[in-house]
Amino acid sequence: MDEEPERTKRWEGGYERTWEVLKEDESGSLKASVEEILFQSKRKRVTESHGQVRLGMMRHLHLVVDCSRSMEDKDLKPNRLTSSLKLIESFVKEYFDQNPISQLGIITTKNKRAEKLTDLAGNPKKHIVALKKAVNTVCVGEPSLYNSLNLAIQTLKHMPGHTSREILVILSSLTTCDPANICELIKTLKALKVRVSVIGLSAEVRVCTVLTRETGGSYHVILDESHFKELLMLHVKPPPAGSSSECSLIRMGFPQHIIASLTDQDARPSFSMSHLDSSSGAQLSLGGYFCPQCHSKYTELPVECKVCGLTLVSAPHLARSFHHLFPLQAFTESPTQQLQTDRFCQACQGELKDKSVFVCPSCCSVFCVDCDLFIHDMLHCCPGCMHSQSAP
Amino acid sequence: MAALSEEVLLVVKKVRQKKQDGTLYLMAERIAWGPEGKDRFTVSHLYADTRCQKISPDGKSKIQLQLVLHTGESTTFHFSNDSSALKDRDAAKELLQQLLPKFKKKANKELEEKNRMLQEDPVLFQLYKDLVVSQVISADEFWANRLGDTNHADPSSSNNKQEVGISGAFLADIRPQTDGCNGLRYNLTADIIESIFRTYPTVKEKYCENVPHNLTEKEFWTRFFQSHYFHRDRINTGTQDIFSECAKQDEKGLKSMVVQGVKNPLVDLLMLEDKTLDEGYGIYATLPSTSNSNRSVKESSNSAIIKRFNHHSAMVLAAGAGKRETPADQASETSSTDGNSRDSDFFQPAVKKVKLKEAIEYEDLQRENRPKTVALNLKKLDRYAHGPVPLQSQQYTTSQDIINSVNYIQHEMVNYKPNLTQVLSSTTASSAIAALSSGGVLMQAATQQAINQMIPSEVQGELKHLYAAAGELLRHFWSCFPVNTPFMEEKVTKMKSNLERFQMTKLCPFQEKIQRQYLSTNLTGHLEQMLQTAYSKFHIWQTRRMLRKT
Repeated sequence: MDEEPERTKRWEGGYERTWEVLKEDESGSLKASVEEILFQSKRKRVTESHGQVRLGMMRHLHLVVDCSRSMEDKDLKPNRLTSSLKLIESFVKEYFDQNPISQLGIITTKNKRAEKLTDLAGNPKKHIVALKKAVNTVCVGEPSLYNSLNLAIQTLKHMPGHTSREILVILSSLTTCDPANICELIKTLKALKVRVSVIGLSAEVRVCTVLTRETGGSYHVILDESHFKELLMLHVKPPPAGSSSECSLIRMGFPQHIIASLTDQDARPSFSMSHLDSSSGAQLSLGGYFCPQCHSKYTELPVECKVCGLTLVSAPHLARSFHHLFPLQAFTESPTQQLQTDRFCQACQGELKDKSVFVCPSCCSVFCVDCDLFIHDMLHCCPGCMHSQSAP
Repeated sequence: MAALSEEVLLVVKKVRQKKQDGTLYLMAERIAWGPEGKDRFTVSHLYADTRCQKISPDGKSKIQLQLVLHTGESTTFHFSNDSSALKDRDAAKELLQQLLPKFKKKANKELEEKNRMLQEDPVLFQLYKDLVVSQVISADEFWANRLGDTNHADPSSSNNKQEVGISGAFLADIRPQTDGCNGLRYNLTADIIESIFRTYPTVKEKYCENVPHNLTEKEFWTRFFQSHYFHRDRINTGTQDIFSECAKQDEKGLKSMVVQGVKNPLVDLLMLEDKTLDEGYGIYATLPSTSNSNRSVKESSNSAIIKRFNHHSAMVLAAGAGKRETPADQASETSSTDGNSRDSDFFQPAVKKVKLKEAIEYEDLQRENRPKTVALNLKKLDRYAHGPVPLQSQQYTTSQDIINSVNYIQHEMVNYKPNLTQVLSSTTASSAIAALSSGGVLMQAATQQAINQMIPSEVQGELKHLYAAAGELLRHFWSCFPVNTPFMEEKVTKMKSNLERFQMTKLCPFQEKIQRQYLSTNLTGHLEQMLQTAYSKFHIWQTRRMLRKT
């Protein structure tokens, strides 16, 4: 409830105040220009990423979380560790939402060692449970970049060539304590085609710059919590596939959901293979998804069949990637003064107060800055075009 | 028989075993006993088979040594030499004490690992009971598959083997705390101790020499912290300190490092000096002379600290890089402790070039090089807009037909007037309502949960175990496809017979049992279907193979 008046302020005047005043204010802070730079980079991302580029859709991502002494710092509320873990939780949900056939694993590092929090898996629940428990870890010692990258490589090197292998490191400490030369490890990473990206919480560290530059990843340092969230969400989008990655045909099964009832003649109650291991949750049920190859049952998709190893998905999971195949074209930017029509945004019906507006090339509807970002990031289709096509 | 090439480590005469006199021989890999006067050994045990040894208590008249094997049986040797029985027995015991652990680790480790896995995971234990104890598959097969799987994801043991770097600040991290009465408490952890040993190998030598013979561990560390070696003002006053030797070694090491020099050709260490620009910008207003006699005490203690810091950093780096035998490559920025002076001339031009190049280019200011992306090449775009199109012509309504029919219905409905008294008879209406309310014929989805209550929980539990066992067997079966090697062919045939055996020994009795309990639902139907799918796959593969052969 407290956020409501804040939001209206930002809608109506907040952005403009910080953009138009592109100079130091009385206290000498450069906050305005920094926010302007951030906004420009956001716009650049939207305009740049609209070629049709081959993406690596099956991703194996290892998330390395720094749990060293510097994570107890209170500059992110309540402390860096709790705030990071909360943001990572929402990242995990978003990741599996956008990349249903991908896998994620989490590694923590502290006290010069690294250990696996969760294995590479395709089920978000396990990761979220582990993250919730990890809030209580004691942050001690120094992190070890070498050991955590090494640990991630142990599983990533077995992954097939057509998938993308990635590591995302969240590093808050300015030092790392390694048992061996990390330059050798960087060469190994390059040879294995692993892409390492880093999100720094304190400041830019040269070893991270070299690491990300050599492996083709990205390196950013956060400004505050909302910027942290933005940077994390950047990694939800699948990265462009390198020219050397192989492409191959992947075998998948598309089981249909069977709903049976007791009165059916051949009603057969069965256990789901995925729940057999857990002490609770294994229940006899009549319907479910049956693997087309080996006929074992599962209650939810996507899943990898434990018996025959076939990836089982449903068509909507793959259709979720369609907006990458047919990306929405970038809207043309034009200054507001040149508009002949009434000055309101077609999507949100708000008054156009920004310096520039965005026009869709096909239906010529006019949108404000925020709607343009929303359309390109979330909707992936122009509301004006949809309206004009559906009319008979 | 004794192999002639076996090394005999100890021979003890007059050892009785099972009331027979004889001689005991301890060899490199086994222990053997032969009766008096005979050439061959009647008793021979490998050390690997021995679990432990036991000796009789000292007060007893009979001096005996017992070997307990893994299998549980034991052999007792009675040392009956009147004069030296005790000595003999003790000599044998000491030798065994040294030899047994070497062999123990190899044999026991696997067994322990297996036991641990069975204890930790009740599901695995159940699987073991179901499959191995009832002889569906042999124990070897079970463990071959299991251990092979877990080797990929080896969580606990790989953690222990992680190499750990040395933090540069490990000595500072010890952080002594005052404990109130004029003393200091130093908190030493295993990590810090290891760092000290790796960085200062002379301290490690002293530790090995003195502990536990002369000093306890606690005393050793107390002395370490008290010694001048640890504290910053290292005045070698030649005390009886065990660490004064360490200080001398360190001095020698530092001198040799300075002599080696730095590999970076752009850095000239000898030119580095404190220079003053003007009063207030340097150290003193009057330039100090560098002759040793004029040095004040303060300067010498400063130089001692500086020397100490340099030495500490150099040792930390050396300890970290010491593992690698290959010389550091040219582009890296490692310290001066690597590299022979012989090679530095050879490397010098290349290193200089790299260093110069680094100095004149700033990557941050260059245009960002995005990695090359591959363009997406989509053909037949309209295929993405709808599902797969059937190849044969089918009864197919065009969209225009549908629009026409919708318009037609709209047209018909314009003149519609409801006549409520003649819609349905009351009986039909009430039966329709009954069918559509919950519990009725058409609303069966709500009764899904009932199935759980209808089957007793023990039956459900047993069924779960059957599922786990069947799943395990089927997993091995399906992993054999596609069948590429003769090994796979054998395996797939074996797995099929295993599955049939499983069905015979486990599934059918279970089925009969529930039939006797008058449970009407077909509980094993799904399992049978899974097994049937596997059998038909095997059959198809077999027919294809025979077709290929003919």
